[in-house]
Amino acid sequence: MTLEAVKEGERARIVRVNGDEAVKRHLGALGFVAGTVVRVVGTSYGNMILAVHESRIAVNDATAGNVEVDAV
Amino acid sequence: MANSMKIALAGNPNSGKTTLFNAITGSEQYVGNWPGVTVEKKDGILHGHKEVVIQDLPGIYSLSPYSIEEKVSRRFLVEERPDAILNIVDGTNIERNLYLSTQLAELGLPMVMAVNMMDVVKKNGDSIDFAKIAKALRCEVVGISALKKEGDMEAAELAVALAKKSAADKGPNKLPDVPHVFSGSVEHAIAHIEESIQGKVPARSIRWYAIKIFERDREVIKDLGIGVGEMKHLEEHIRDCEKELGDDAESIITNQRYDFIKSLMNRSLALNEKRHSKATLSDRIDKIVTHRILALPIFVVSLCAMWWLAVAEKGPGTVLTDWANDEFLADGWHLPFTTHEVDGKDYDAAKEDFAKAEATVKAWEAGEKKASIEDEETGEVADEWDIDEAAYKAAKEAEEPDPSKYGVWVPGIGALITGALERAGVSDTVKSLVVDGAWGGVATVLGFVPVIFIVFLFLAFLEDCGYMARVAFIMDRLLRKFGLSGKSFIPMLIGKGCGVPAVMAARTIENERARRMTVILATFVPCGAKTVIIAMFAALFFREQWYVAALMDVVGIAIIIFGGMALKKTRLFSGEASSFVLELPAYHMPTVSGVWHHTWNRLKGYILKAGLIIFPACVFLWFVMHFDWSLNLLGDEEIEKSILHDLGSWIAWFFAPLGFGSWQGAAASVSAEIAKEQATATLGLVAANMGGATTGANIQAFFASISAFPKLAALSFMLFNLFVPPCMVAVAVTFREMGAKKWGWFAVAFQLFVGYVISLNAYRLGVLFAGGGFGFWTAVAILVDLFCLWMIFRPAREERKRQ
Repeated sequence: MTLEAVKEGERARIVRVNGDEAVKRHLGALGFVAGTVVRVVGTSYGNMILAVHESRIAVNDATAGNVEVDAV
Repeated sequence: MANSMKIALAGNPNSGKTTLFNAITGSEQYVGNWPGVTVEKKDGILHGHKEVVIQDLPGIYSLSPYSIEEKVSRRFLVEERPDAILNIVDGTNIERNLYLSTQLAELGLPMVMAVNMMDVVKKNGDSIDFAKIAKALRCEVVGISALKKEGDMEAAELAVALAKKSAADKGPNKLPDVPHVFSGSVEHAIAHIEESIQGKVPARSIRWYAIKIFERDREVIKDLGIGVGEMKHLEEHIRDCEKELGDDAESIITNQRYDFIKSLMNRSLALNEKRHSKATLSDRIDKIVTHRILALPIFVVSLCAMWWLAVAEKGPGTVLTDWANDEFLADGWHLPFTTHEVDGKDYDAAKEDFAKAEATVKAWEAGEKKASIEDEETGEVADEWDIDEAAYKAAKEAEEPDPSKYGVWVPGIGALITGALERAGVSDTVKSLVVDGAWGGVATVLGFVPVIFIVFLFLAFLEDCGYMARVAFIMDRLLRKFGLSGKSFIPMLIGKGCGVPAVMAARTIENERARRMTVILATFVPCGAKTVIIAMFAALFFREQWYVAALMDVVGIAIIIFGGMALKKTRLFSGEASSFVLELPAYHMPTVSGVWHHTWNRLKGYILKAGLIIFPACVFLWFVMHFDWSLNLLGDEEIEKSILHDLGSWIAWFFAPLGFGSWQGAAASVSAEIAKEQATATLGLVAANMGGATTGANIQAFFASISAFPKLAALSFMLFNLFVPPCMVAVAVTFREMGAKKWGWFAVAFQLFVGYVISLNAYRLGVLFAGGGFGFWTAVAILVDLFCLWMIFRPAREERKRQ
């Protein structure tokens, strides 16, 4: 499944990140790498705010759909 | 300076880098741009160390070339090779921050890591073992609190000492000790790459280069001139790794970097677990601020607040602007709380009485039975009264009220200049040049400072407290439909005040397409200066159409929406739905000095830019208005002999299809490019000989003289000046922000097209509906409309390709 399917308040472990190389690289720098656990802090019409390490990262649905995750 | 030392300040966005920079350099800062790009470049002299320059790098997350900021930073680090790196790290989010630190360490330069926000870390009950991090990353680590100014200078001085020591005992070519963070097979491949690039790169940074080549970083491979054959050989090693680890090279590096950091953190970071599993205060605020229903109303309220502060009638922005334009820069003003009445009248009332007396005298001497005064802004008759001989005699006796009798009077700058010139006894030409030309230009620039200052101050506050990032998040969904980004909303907001900062604010948009579109479209929001045009025309021509002023805002927004839709479908701006990734910093109370730095740096930029452009332009305008070709100074009534008259006549044909193809219309429209409100001022001057009693009547008479449908011609003139390219200052900034000249020309051409088409439609279709008949230009207008509709509503490029 992808991040899009994760509900508010739930956690998920990242399996891999797909999509455009540049965006993937940027997400990687922000901590979106295999094994990292992220928490969905809030959602708004498909866009979401994620807790990654100690920071909050906002992504839109297109980006969330490119992040494969496992349930924790 | 031969013995100067350069220290690069690097770190993540929101890590407190700017605070640290301001604290260790104070006011000795130099702001410019990095070569070729619009990213701000700041450097400053370290307190107490005249020979040490601190180079503030943009906030970045890594040294891969994802954004302009990263490209600029890494180019500086790799090519200019600073003497040391001061790496600021957010102690409350150290894991993510160390991702950049490991890359900086690989450059092999002397490095001090300043772990910031140690006060918060301690308050949270966490602890960080600096010695272990220092050992793993081969650098010095110190704890600081930039906000509380604790340890900041010590960190900077440590970097200076380290740079000196490194220069003394190692020399630039000795291999430094750099951290090895990757697994066996990756290290093996990197070792092979290092071997093959030896001698091609600075020895100290060889590891950084080798890792970049492993990642197949195109820029580095190109810069080093690694040929296809050589790369093929290296590719073998890279592919072996990829096969073994089942991932692409870049992901391998990213993942292993984080693995390394994770294991380092396990050893050196003790977290207070109880605290970290809870939702933070910031999260709870976000629950409300980004709530699916509440988000928009909250945003609209903050928008209205800015609107009220900056441009609302009787709001602080308007009050300050009026004070600046009418008092501070003009005749003068009374200190507040010192005013009192004389003979039962305050100064304003006394001044008005005197103005009426003057008007009475003038009218009676001209043989008229009625006198009137006009409103300065609209040019309309504000008051009219009957006069007789007795009134004339009484008026003749009236004396100009002395402002100093009504309170503590501070003379205005305009009055001081005029007074000084009169005392010096200069000729009228010189006086006119200085007062009307030069000072007029300066005053025009300064007159807008209050509005811009308030907008900047408000936005700096929103940015520094963290709300602006949320605005971008909230608006992204809507704006993406028009090819823009959530971050495009901020420039449009600013555009209501002034187009210059609006265009500059588009910088924060990473996606180049969305950024360029934002620059092109943001100035269609009618700015403060355009409000002056709207107010005058609404009063003179559209008394019954009360909605005209509001309608202009609607037209501006409609242009942005439909313009966005049309541009998105062109080859220049088409592309995949852009991804949106934005860090939302934790909410916090901004500091006064932070907001001030932010505001002042932007304001300074505006004043310098505007001064350099508007000032000479105003002098030029004054010149062509007041002189004929033989350079004789002309009287007020002789404007038809002026150079401006001829210049206007030459280009009048361009405006003929729009209904105001006369030299006056042309001259006013062109002078509006200097500063938009010049449209009304110039119109008043060029229409002076129309025989009306007031400026307003002259302008009405002027439009009646050039068209059978004066209202439509006036509407067309107003629309044209609102929606063609903004004033030349904004255009200059547009050119800079668009990067390349051809993009600047594209923006101007697009804006000119939009303004022209709207104006053409308003006049020609208006004439058609008013019974003025169908002509050649009516047909042209309809054809152009069909073209525009097609541009807006045709299928997107991606869909066209699919078919």
